[in-house]
Amino acid sequence: MQSKASVKRSEQSSGPSWRSLKKAAVLFVGIGLLLYAGVYYAAERLLYRTGDANPFFKVATAIHGSYDWVILGASHAMPLDFADFNAHIERETERQILNLASPGTGPLYNRFVLEHFLSRHRTANVLYVVDSFAFYAPTWNEDRFADAKLLRRTPFEPGLALRFLDYAMNEGVEAAPVLDYITGFSKINNRKRFERDIWEGEKRFERTYRPSASATRKRITYLYPETASDPDIFKRYLEEFAELIALARREGASVAVIKLPVPAEYESQLPNEVAFDAAVSQLLAARQVPYRDFSLTMDAPHFYFDTDHLNRNGLTEFFNRHLKAILIEDKSRRW
Amino acid sequence: MLFTSLAFFLFLPLAVLVHALLPAGQRWAWLLFASYVFYAFSDPFNLVYLGTVSVVIYGCGLGLARTERKALRIAFLSLGLVCVLGSLVAFKFYDFLAGELVQISEGIFGTGSALELPQLGLTTPVGYSFYAFAGASYLIDVYVGRLIAEQHAGRAALYVAYFPKILAGPIERATTFLPQLRANLRPEPAQVITGLQLIGWGLFKKVVIADTLAPLVDRSYKIAAFASPIELLLGLYFFAFQIYCDFSGYTDIAIGISLLFGLTLMENFRRPYLSRSTAEFWGERWHISLGHWFRDYLYIPLGGSRAGWLRRYANIMAVFMVSGLWHAGLGYGVGWTFLIWGALNGLYQWAGLVTAPLWRWLGERLPQIGSSTLILVLRVLLTFHLIAIAWVFFRAGSVTEALLILQKIGTGLTQVPTLITRYPFTADQYLGLGLIILLIGIEILDERRSIWQRLASAPLVVRWGAYYSGIFALLILGSWQAREFIYMQF
Repeated sequence: MQSKASVKRSEQSSGPSWRSLKKAAVLFVGIGLLLYAGVYYAAERLLYRTGDANPFFKVATAIHGSYDWVILGASHAMPLDFADFNAHIERETERQILNLASPGTGPLYNRFVLEHFLSRHRTANVLYVVDSFAFYAPTWNEDRFADAKLLRRTPFEPGLALRFLDYAMNEGVEAAPVLDYITGFSKINNRKRFERDIWEGEKRFERTYRPSASATRKRITYLYPETASDPDIFKRYLEEFAELIALARREGASVAVIKLPVPAEYESQLPNEVAFDAAVSQLLAARQVPYRDFSLTMDAPHFYFDTDHLNRNGLTEFFNRHLKAILIEDKSRRW
Repeated sequence: MLFTSLAFFLFLPLAVLVHALLPAGQRWAWLLFASYVFYAFSDPFNLVYLGTVSVVIYGCGLGLARTERKALRIAFLSLGLVCVLGSLVAFKFYDFLAGELVQISEGIFGTGSALELPQLGLTTPVGYSFYAFAGASYLIDVYVGRLIAEQHAGRAALYVAYFPKILAGPIERATTFLPQLRANLRPEPAQVITGLQLIGWGLFKKVVIADTLAPLVDRSYKIAAFASPIELLLGLYFFAFQIYCDFSGYTDIAIGISLLFGLTLMENFRRPYLSRSTAEFWGERWHISLGHWFRDYLYIPLGGSRAGWLRRYANIMAVFMVSGLWHAGLGYGVGWTFLIWGALNGLYQWAGLVTAPLWRWLGERLPQIGSSTLILVLRVLLTFHLIAIAWVFFRAGSVTEALLILQKIGTGLTQVPTLITRYPFTADQYLGLGLIILLIGIEILDERRSIWQRLASAPLVVRWGAYYSGIFALLILGSWQAREFIYMQF
């Protein structure tokens, strides 16, 4: 911009006083806040038109007061709600199912989601799709609260804001995302505001994966950052998981835990998987929570749309072979 | 701490508030403290480098002030420059040069008996290039008598560490900065208004324009080998505006923040893409503080334009080569590309000098054509394209990649009209193009009469409408995901 110094000098000679500047600033900020409220409202309305995959959006728009099953977990559980698959499962099992899984989320985030769900709805059962990576790093727990992709699709609710604040004060979640949520910044700032909220994996749901060793390696490196070998961190998230189970039970819901199938090549590269299985099995057995590990039951590449997510073909097969029985069986039975 | 981060938006009001509440005589101390907090925010160890440079320039400055003996004065100056600039060279180039030397010796003597130079993994501390140059200019100015050495250690330290300019300039001279510190550092209301305007405009250029273009540029350069000429051409144009908006955005914010503290920093950019020649671009409009630094501390001491035409040409090339080396940084790697970028810009200056008599002669013979708008526009476009072509070497990962990009654009140039109609432009590309057109429009208006003067004389509704539009564009369109300023990496 042109010669600021000269402009400044000319302004200084006949410039405003501090008093008039303060008055103008108050008025400017006041009008700005009104405009901001308008933009915030518009962003919130737009969210309801484009929302889809966000778990809080699903809770806000859930049509039933009570569900038979709520599904929690990270991205492996998400295909169960891709396209029309949840409706298909509901038809086949005659159960009402709400899938609240979201990408890259561990036990802490899922507890947060479940708490919010249970504050407004009921469920008879919780199905937790467990993934070891989500137990090894804050990246998949505390840090997920700050993900703008999730925040920009989360509808505003005062109760949720208070819960968010509680997690910031007591659970190690940063204050910035709370501020973001309350001010609606990520919603207003959403570059993809007019696009439907679909996770990128859903667009490939019908595809078949061509195996690639380097892609698998890259995926494992991404999912298991350096902190993956810290036993204290693992212990912390196991405790969060136990807390989630306790929460569900306090609210009268049974809990079932499964591991979804993944290709053998992928599974073989997971670090500490044996130790993870042992720790989770022990925790669940102590609480009499049924646990089924299906991870090595479906190896064929045509069951997957990428390195480790089931496609429609794989999910249909898995549903018919295993999941249907779990969802329709008497919840008091133990596997 | 990034100017675009939440931490900074909390830090700045606090810094301004405490500054305003303190007695005038203590404000420098608060600014120094705030500057250290700001600089240490990402890595407290950086304070060691900053402290060392501050101690060296203060100590050598005092040494220069307290002796008249020429040999001793030269010793103090040399010591200071070697410490400050020598460490900069070591940080930037040791690993690169060691690697190159080992490679060369392997080529000559074979792998077994080649030279062994360890890689030290040195990285230049953030902003070091800027405060090292500021420190060097202070010492040279004291040595040649342009400046009286600062006796107050705090003020000398603040000159080096002052937070708005520490990461990416402007490379402010002590001759203009220190006298302001000795005054009362009390901002006027008009300065506050101007400061806020500049902060807003700088943020708009950075988070709306530069950071919208950044991923598009990254994509073009990432897939250069497979990209179509249109994709690469877009990358070339987008990068020219990305680097401009990124860097000048930072500078505007730095100048704006300084005004909130009652300090005036030098202008660093003056609508550079409206230059009519590359000499005008580098001499008067782009990174002015660095251009003046090289002019005053390298070009003129080398003899400038008064030592015969051969020396003049050599001096120009030397300045641009050194500028290329200075720009070699972490962001796009340290490599030969920066030297070629410098040499290419030096060649432009040579071409300008060689052809200057011809243009003068033509201008005298055909005055109406020479001063016509058409010729003016053609000159601006030619200058822009020359600069944009040079930027390819600046941005590319290697010389081979840069040449490949230019070759693909060159060979595909005749097909551009056809290709452009078939190219699947994305929404982000349209947005990027729209923002560039908006920027050019504003700068053309600003070239004729300051946009701030236009705003100041406009009705309140128009003025505030413009402010709100800018603020909400930042909120609605800004990319706030903490992308570093490019020049912070040098």
